[in-house]
Amino acid sequence: IFFNCMMGSGSLNSGSRSGSSKTSTSPTENYQLARRRTLQVVVSSLLTECGFESAEKAAMETLTEMMQSYITEVGRCAKATCEHTARSTPTLSDVVITLVEMGFNVDTLPVYAKRSQRMVITAPPITNAPVVPKALIAGQKRTHPTYIPSHFPEFPDPHTYIKTPTFREPVSDYQVVREKAASQRRDVERALTRFMAKTGETESLFKDDISAFPLIAAKPSTIPYLSALLPSELELQTLEETDSSEQDDQTDTENNSSNVSQDDQSADKENVVLPPGGVVPTGKANEENMIDNPYLRPVKKPKGRRKKLKLIY
Amino acid sequence: MNRKKDKGFESPRPYKLTHQVVCINNIKSFFRDKSVIGYVELTIFPTVMNLNRIKLEASSARIYRVRVNDLEGLHSFTNDPTLEVCHHESKQRNLNYFSSAYTAAVSAVDPDAGNGELSIKVPSELWKQGDEMKVMKVYIEFSLDQPKGGLHFVVPDVDGSMAERAAHVFSFGNQNSTRFWFPCVDSYSELCTWKLEFTVDASMVAVSCGDLVETVYTHDMRKKTFHYMLPIPTAAPNISLAVGPFEILVDPYMHEVTHFCLPQLLPLLKQTMSYLHEIFEFYEEILTCRYPYSCFKTVFVDEAYVQVSSYASMSIFSTNLLHSGMIIDQTPVTRRCLAQALAQQFFGCFISRMSWSDEWVLKGISGYIYGLYLKKTFGVNEYRHWIKEELDKIVEYELKMGGVLLHPTFSGGKEKDNPTPHLHFSIRHPHTLSWEYYKMFQCKAHLVMRLIENRISMEFMLQVFNKLLSLASTASSQKYQSHMWSQMLVSTSGFLKSISNVSGKDIGPLIKQWVDQSGVVKFFGSFAFNRKRNVLELEIRQDYTSSGTQKYVGPIKVTVQELDGSFNHTLQIEENSLKHDIPCHSKSRRNKKKKIPLMNGEEVDMDLSAMDADSPLLWIRIDPDMSILRKVEFEQADFMWQYQLRFERDVVAQEEAISALEIFPTPASRLALTDILEQDQCFYKVRIQACFCLAKIANSMMSTWTGPPAMKSLFTRMFCCKSCPNIVKTNNFINFQSYFLQKTMPVAMALLRDVQNLCPKEVLNFILDLIKYNDNRKNKFSDNYYRAELIDALTNSLTPAISINNEVRTVDNLNTDVRLILEEITRFLNMEKLLPSYRNTITVSCLRAIRMLQKNGHIPSDPSLFKSYAQYGHFVDVRIAALEAVIDYTRVDRSSSELQWLLDLVQNDPVHYIRHEILSMLAKNPPFTKAADSLLCNEALVDQLWKLMNSGTCHDWRLRCDAVNLYYTLFGLTRPSCLPLPELGLVLNLKEKKAVLNPTIKSEQGPGGPEVTTTMAFTSTLEEEHVVMEPALSGVAMAPQGLKRKAETPLGSSPEPGQVMQEEPSAKASVKSKFPTQEEEDIDMDTVHDSQAFIYHHLNMLERPSTPGKEPSSVEQAMLSMPGTPMPTLSKESTSSKHGDHHHHHHHHEHKKKKKKHKHKHKHKHKHESKDKDRDSHAFSNSPASGRSIRSPSLSD
Repeated sequence: IFFNCMMGSGSLNSGSRSGSSKTSTSPTENYQLARRRTLQVVVSSLLTECGFESAEKAAMETLTEMMQSYITEVGRCAKATCEHTARSTPTLSDVVITLVEMGFNVDTLPVYAKRSQRMVITAPPITNAPVVPKALIAGQKRTHPTYIPSHFPEFPDPHTYIKTPTFREPVSDYQVVREKAASQRRDVERALTRFMAKTGETESLFKDDISAFPLIAAKPSTIPYLSALLPSELELQTLEETDSSEQDDQTDTENNSSNVSQDDQSADKENVVLPPGGVVPTGKANEENMIDNPYLRPVKKPKGRRKKLKLIY
Repeated sequence: MNRKKDKGFESPRPYKLTHQVVCINNIKSFFRDKSVIGYVELTIFPTVMNLNRIKLEASSARIYRVRVNDLEGLHSFTNDPTLEVCHHESKQRNLNYFSSAYTAAVSAVDPDAGNGELSIKVPSELWKQGDEMKVMKVYIEFSLDQPKGGLHFVVPDVDGSMAERAAHVFSFGNQNSTRFWFPCVDSYSELCTWKLEFTVDASMVAVSCGDLVETVYTHDMRKKTFHYMLPIPTAAPNISLAVGPFEILVDPYMHEVTHFCLPQLLPLLKQTMSYLHEIFEFYEEILTCRYPYSCFKTVFVDEAYVQVSSYASMSIFSTNLLHSGMIIDQTPVTRRCLAQALAQQFFGCFISRMSWSDEWVLKGISGYIYGLYLKKTFGVNEYRHWIKEELDKIVEYELKMGGVLLHPTFSGGKEKDNPTPHLHFSIRHPHTLSWEYYKMFQCKAHLVMRLIENRISMEFMLQVFNKLLSLASTASSQKYQSHMWSQMLVSTSGFLKSISNVSGKDIGPLIKQWVDQSGVVKFFGSFAFNRKRNVLELEIRQDYTSSGTQKYVGPIKVTVQELDGSFNHTLQIEENSLKHDIPCHSKSRRNKKKKIPLMNGEEVDMDLSAMDADSPLLWIRIDPDMSILRKVEFEQADFMWQYQLRFERDVVAQEEAISALEIFPTPASRLALTDILEQDQCFYKVRIQACFCLAKIANSMMSTWTGPPAMKSLFTRMFCCKSCPNIVKTNNFINFQSYFLQKTMPVAMALLRDVQNLCPKEVLNFILDLIKYNDNRKNKFSDNYYRAELIDALTNSLTPAISINNEVRTVDNLNTDVRLILEEITRFLNMEKLLPSYRNTITVSCLRAIRMLQKNGHIPSDPSLFKSYAQYGHFVDVRIAALEAVIDYTRVDRSSSELQWLLDLVQNDPVHYIRHEILSMLAKNPPFTKAADSLLCNEALVDQLWKLMNSGTCHDWRLRCDAVNLYYTLFGLTRPSCLPLPELGLVLNLKEKKAVLNPTIKSEQGPGGPEVTTTMAFTSTLEEEHVVMEPALSGVAMAPQGLKRKAETPLGSSPEPGQVMQEEPSAKASVKSKFPTQEEEDIDMDTVHDSQAFIYHHLNMLERPSTPGKEPSSVEQAMLSMPGTPMPTLSKESTSSKHGDHHHHHHHHEHKKKKKKHKHKHKHKHKHESKDKDRDSHAFSNSPASGRSIRSPSLSD
């Protein structure tokens, strides 16, 4: 019984929980119900042995539960002990150690087992052992190619090495994409600014609730024009991206192509305003050496003493 | 001397300057102490015998040593009168007095009149030399210690060397202000050649006028000396200097042009300057003249005084004009600034002016050629739009403020013949002008140049310019001895003479009309079509009586678009002819199917169903070429305006049509505007204007409007995705017209209102969606201006909150829409801290939005946020926006502490531009005006402002004029009404009496003290609000009339929505207690007797001086002449009996009065003197008070 119970202990816990639902008919549950019933029989026979004539159902249940817990614990500990010694199947000595650990006097066990008035309990009815779910079968198991002798181990299951392309159907709905991008950016921005506001000084628009709509405090900077005039790194990054993805631009402009083409003819010359990118003549660097600009000339060393440029007049 | 060539130019000085050396060496560290030490040496030729005194300008410089030809000279400051205009002891507080005193002070040091504050006594040894007309060299050592004007130091407060800190200094000033940084002849008409030397730290660059000859290290190798030579005769005001750790960029197209910017900005400088050569080429081509100087330098500095200032061969710009290639909006603005600066290089720097009254020629020509550049670069549409804008501006200004006179002539030089009596300042000197006036002056000058061009053709015009330039450049290459230099000075007469020489046309009438005379023309036009005669009867009337207008006589062009084509007619406007008959060419509706020819030769199909079947007229335009400085109000039917909008190709006509359509909210107008909006070919500024007009029309048509809100479907079609119309496309601003339209449409849409006068929910959500889905990742250009305008749109959508009994605004009772808006604004503003946008446009818009939320009562009104953004150290645009909000708060909440804070900033802020802007914004949005009473208006404020303009702003002409302007806005020309009046004479101030009678109006009790204005004002000045009580009955009889008129007009400005009225109970109580008898009285003064009694009654009120404070003398002055009538006892009785509790107070006052009594005896004398100055002193003699004082015992007896 003991070992039987032990083997089933793993699934008992879960079984007892779901067992309450009477309608269950799955083989696994049937199996577990049968085990439990056997356990109950054990408990009742022990009770009878002790001289009880009847027991309340609740008491029975409690005792069964206790018994089950005890056995489960023994099983678990035995397993742990065995795994500790790098084995996978518990041996008798594992169980013995466990029992000792749990404060059980093992020596009394043989005596107890051989006591006269013990009852013989029938083995639990043989039900279908729960089916171990089959390993995932992905694709055909490969056989050895011809150049590999057959005594070599077989290929492992295909799922261990087969690559299944698992990309989801890309969300092609434009609206959803935009929606997502927008709300994502907004969330990031909000979280970031809230964080900044929480960690630094703030100003508030409301006197009564300072935490509502916190504004990061305005801090004067020593050279304010720099941050105001220079493009931020983010902008520079986008600029580079757009430059490199010139192709994208073209597709984009196609949307507006009607506009653009009409503009060329339009009388308005606004688009003359910007030249296509700040064009600076090439080879400027070379030229610069030849440029005769007084500000590029080297600074002269002072000549002699007090040779201030007096007026040549 | 042989002055034949001088064309009448007479130097006002007894000598002629030929050469000047300026040497500034930073013996002490230039930047750490902000001090300058140097010397100047002027080479002069005496032109009179026995030259014994030389007058120069040297404001605020400390002079150590003066030598004339190596002999020690004596120098003395002729105490600069502009330092303190009116002397301290003077209690005069009226602006008339100040203006004349200020003008006199400026005249006293006017270099154009040969005056100056530094007077050097020529050693007697040299007097003899005068006979031989020998050269004299005047050597002056000077220093400036932390100059307030002239040089501006920018020294950021960070660690590191001065170069690392980007510390720099540059010269600045309004007009001729060079005197503030070195002694000179500070006149535009005194030319000389220059040698300039600046010794600066080795890490710095000194940029100045002329050619950099060489740069030499000092002996310790830690400093460099920059040697500049300017061989072209130049006036001192055109000399400038900029020193800083500049990055140097040699123009890739023109190697003689060098650009300088502050560290780290070089990439922006490259981008910004990439098109300067085009401007150069353009000007050189049209003027057929090479750029006069051998080099050109542009320097971009922080905290610039003005955006653009031009000096000989260099220009100083604000660093904020720099931009990267991603910025759309700033690019045209910066280009315009560069073009302006360059135009002024030719006219303004190279060619200077003879006198201040010739300034218009220089400003006119430079403005005019700048306009030509605009036309070439930005297109004809943009040019015409600009001309219209400028014309509208000048017309609006002149009609509001009175005429702008381009060429004032002052015969005899006396103040009496003031050509512009309507102005509160004198136009005799550039330094007395209000800044606004000067801007308008420039605007008018270039418009007049355009009128001259219309008259003599552009070709001749350019020939004239070429002639001026070539004469000048010939002269400039001559030695001084040839006396040719005055050719480089332009004068009105010389300019007109070359026009008549070149063109052979007489433009005298034109000049007389627009240059010698101020004012614009105001036309009213209407027409009728006479079917029988097939004649258009046009009536053109003029208003030439109101201020700022003048009468026009001469030709006027009228364009009539008929069915058969467009026809120009030139009508003659004469004295008495109002009606003009214009024969029509086409019969109505004869050719139904024909296309209609337009002015430009185009033929178009039109749907003629809208027009009047009897008339062949499609539209009529008066003065379509804007060849008169005028405002035209023309009446024609709505369908005619619609035709004009759709089919007239001139942008000016289209814009006129749009503004006319505002008053025709019909479906047809809606359609016309929508069509224009959709037309790609249409000029984008017209389309932008159409947006706003459409919003207005939609609001007027609210009840009959069908379909989605105006412009929504249009915007969706143009800018949103095809598949999901609620989402805007990712930004792509490659097409600028679309970009500008995309920016503007939401702003205009937000102005829409529904029946409850709220912004429709649909529109608000639409704008919020635009913000949400805005995606700039694929865009080549920055979207900062776009996002800023989306915030502006949110601002526009705000409407006043429904407030219940001044309930305090809390987070909980926030309107849900407002919560959404606030959410966005908070996020934007916070993001700006992490990723600042270009010129912080988004912060600027957010601040405006927050102020609007406060103003509309959605969130509690509080200036502290704005004050923190207004601090020094924020970007200047942000500061201005924040200050604007504080100023608005000051007005709405009548906060004296904020006003005080602003005025403190005016005195102490390091940035000149900010000081100037505070004052001009205060003048534009004043906390109170002379027309209305306010708690803020008190004696302390008057004193403070007076001090500010009297002496506090002596280093900056512009600021002083701003202060004068503000003073004028707040108090008017006469003595501020809140002051107790020192003058004699009895004038019944009805306005203030009203303040007493009506308990809802606050008295002018300042928070500073218990100073309540006198209920009866005694003054000798005569103003509209004051009625002089003449001894006869007539004056008294007038009083009730005036009273009633006043009573009808609301006094205080109605409180803003959501504003919590801060009626101080204490103030109220004090008013009550002081005037107990009148409190609830509704005085009906139908009879003379009644009103007389009323006046006596009020006179008695004065018995108890209500101003125990600072100026007792003035009140008592008034009382001196008061009739000792039996009335006082009566009133005393009433006060004491009714308000015994105030008795104590009363005694207190009397006590004080006694104490002060002896004091006013000597003041009395002073008052008599000042009385003479008062122009209205004659009113005094008429007053009953004076008359009675003879009869009855005066208090002073």
